[in-house]
Amino acid sequence: MMRRDFRKRFGDILCFAGFGLPALVIWISVVLIPFIFGIWITLTDWNGLAMQIHFVGFENFHDVFSDPTMGTSFIKTVIYAFFTVIASNIMGILLALAVTSGIKGQNLFRIGFFTPNIIGGIILGYIWRFIFLYAFTAVGKGLEIEWMKTSWLTHPTRALIALIIVSSWQLSGYLMVIYIAGLTSVPKDLIDAAYADGASALQIVSTVKLPLIRNSIAICIFLSISRAFMSFDMNLSLTAGGPYKSTELIAYKIYQTAFTSMEFGKGQAQAIVFFVIVAIISLLQVYFTRKGVDEQ
Amino acid sequence: MKKQVLSMCLGLTMIISATAGCGKASDALQTEVQSQSETPAGAESADSVEISFYTTDTGKDQMFQDIISDFESKNPGIKVEYIPGGDDQLQQWMALYASNEGPTVSLMDPINIWENQERMLELTNESFISNIEEGALSTMTFNDKIYAVPQTAAGVGLLYNKAVCDAAVGGNFDPTTIKTRSDLEDLFKKIQATGVDATCFTGVNWSLGSHFLCQVYGAAIGSTKERVDYVNGIISGSKKEIDNDVFNGYMDTFDMMIKYNHNAADPLVGDVNIDAAALGAGECGTWFMGDWAWAFLAPVASEGQEFGILPIPHSDDANDKLNQSIATLYAKGYCIDKSQNTEEQQAAGLKFVDYITSDSYAQEQMATVCGQALPFKNSSVKLESPLGLSTANYITKGLTYDFYGTPNLYPSDIWYECGAFMCEYLAGQTDRATLASKIDEYWTKQEAR
Repeated sequence: MMRRDFRKRFGDILCFAGFGLPALVIWISVVLIPFIFGIWITLTDWNGLAMQIHFVGFENFHDVFSDPTMGTSFIKTVIYAFFTVIASNIMGILLALAVTSGIKGQNLFRIGFFTPNIIGGIILGYIWRFIFLYAFTAVGKGLEIEWMKTSWLTHPTRALIALIIVSSWQLSGYLMVIYIAGLTSVPKDLIDAAYADGASALQIVSTVKLPLIRNSIAICIFLSISRAFMSFDMNLSLTAGGPYKSTELIAYKIYQTAFTSMEFGKGQAQAIVFFVIVAIISLLQVYFTRKGVDEQ
Repeated sequence: MKKQVLSMCLGLTMIISATAGCGKASDALQTEVQSQSETPAGAESADSVEISFYTTDTGKDQMFQDIISDFESKNPGIKVEYIPGGDDQLQQWMALYASNEGPTVSLMDPINIWENQERMLELTNESFISNIEEGALSTMTFNDKIYAVPQTAAGVGLLYNKAVCDAAVGGNFDPTTIKTRSDLEDLFKKIQATGVDATCFTGVNWSLGSHFLCQVYGAAIGSTKERVDYVNGIISGSKKEIDNDVFNGYMDTFDMMIKYNHNAADPLVGDVNIDAAALGAGECGTWFMGDWAWAFLAPVASEGQEFGILPIPHSDDANDKLNQSIATLYAKGYCIDKSQNTEEQQAAGLKFVDYITSDSYAQEQMATVCGQALPFKNSSVKLESPLGLSTANYITKGLTYDFYGTPNLYPSDIWYECGAFMCEYLAGQTDRATLASKIDEYWTKQEAR
């Protein structure tokens, strides 16, 4: 009996070592240890290269909280994240509904809409930068459209809108895939029954499909919130924080603090504060969405 | 409840994973701290030594690779690994040091070398130092010790298209006739009268925040000591930009130039290639930039076209020599790492720096591709760039001043932080008093120079 227990336990350990341990070791090495080490850096005046590192206590955190530009960047990040989350999820759902409706060539459309997500933010940012700076302005000048004659990227509000549009466009393809998975799991007989009861297509979407893909919506909102808050590559390549730092989102600001101003300790302190804020927002979102699902 | 706790734990785990980007650098730091006690990197054998060369002078890969090939052929025992910097030169430099692969030789900005001088090999007593123009070494000298060797001498000013200026003045345009702000505005008016935009600003933070604004802390303030004292006065809060005649003088010139800006309709598009094309095609008569712009101008310039550099006058005093002088900057210097490279590698690095600053092939390549004057006494290469020749002409006449003065006068992020203020001002979104107060505030966060 004891031998059987031991064998079972040994088998479980072996199973964990085979499947879970490599991932756990990698996760601890590349995520947990750097994260803890990063917390230590916040207590130093390290510039990223210096051989002498001095302990400065909570001075970096004091600097972060007394820096008004940090608050400005945070507000811009919230605005950016709010509209990006809404726009990308609406676009993601609409695209998913469209490519699961049985239209001709829907697989091709799926690939097409997902492609921007594969290309990567840096390249997409440069492509769209060219479009905003030269293609749109050429069209605007050609057709005498006043608001298109000058680049969107040289005006603070329009640059932020441009950032939201491009980020939403990129993210929606990724979310579309998750929504497709949710929509294909909606029982077909329920939809047929709704049709038989005389429900319109819009009613089927709002009263049958959307309630049944609530888990997909929760996942997509969580993913889009975290990705929007930590948006960096698009910010770097599309606007580089400009014009005059009006689109400097938090992740980009942290990067500039650490690598341009060479204040690594302060940059890391900003990152930790940012982490806590994003963690709270994301956990609240997960909590309330789960609560809604459970109540249902 | 258990489900909720589980989902929250999973959520937290995902956030930590996603925020790990902020921890990547710290991961690098760990390696860095460990590296202090480790054996320096670099594969070596008894008869050969491998070194690395990191350059932040981007877009000149072929030139550097040709120079390295020639160096290797002349120094058979040394292999040089070429590492070009990317868009963010500091990040990559930090990453190399963090992975214990600090480059043997790096071509960096003086402020970066100054900030990391503890890692750098002192070059004061090296033989090749005697080949460097004395005036070019001040930016690379910290506490009377030389830590780097300048690459080229770059001239900053107002590039002009001579054909456009000739047409404007109705004859042969003589740049020495521009001695005051009013002279410059007269020229602008004449250019404008020919139907050509008089000048052009590239609305980017590095051009406005570093090259234009930093003239405010230049020779017009006085000697190097007076420049440092002035900056320290701003840092301590005892002086204000808005009360300073030099600041207001340069900003008066800036305001005057804004009126004639080729990019006035959309001033912050900031494309060097397009602005170079505009100057080359004669769509604008002048362009605020530096002689490095020949790299952009050469492909669009027709044969026989003439270009030159005009100084930026800060006042209406025709007797002020500074109004006829341009700022020259030794923007990058070769430094040698001693913290992560063996003595053999450092010795090979010294040979490389000696070669790149004194060998005729290296000098010829540098002069041809960079198109800038070389601060090396033994250099006899002929510059092809009319802009580089113009800078060299100012140097010969003694009509230049050192843009930096000291290696640490300008903080490493002044181009980004103050560049944003200057862009805002160029776009007409702020007034001079607000601009001055923002610049003051920026300086108060800096350490005394």
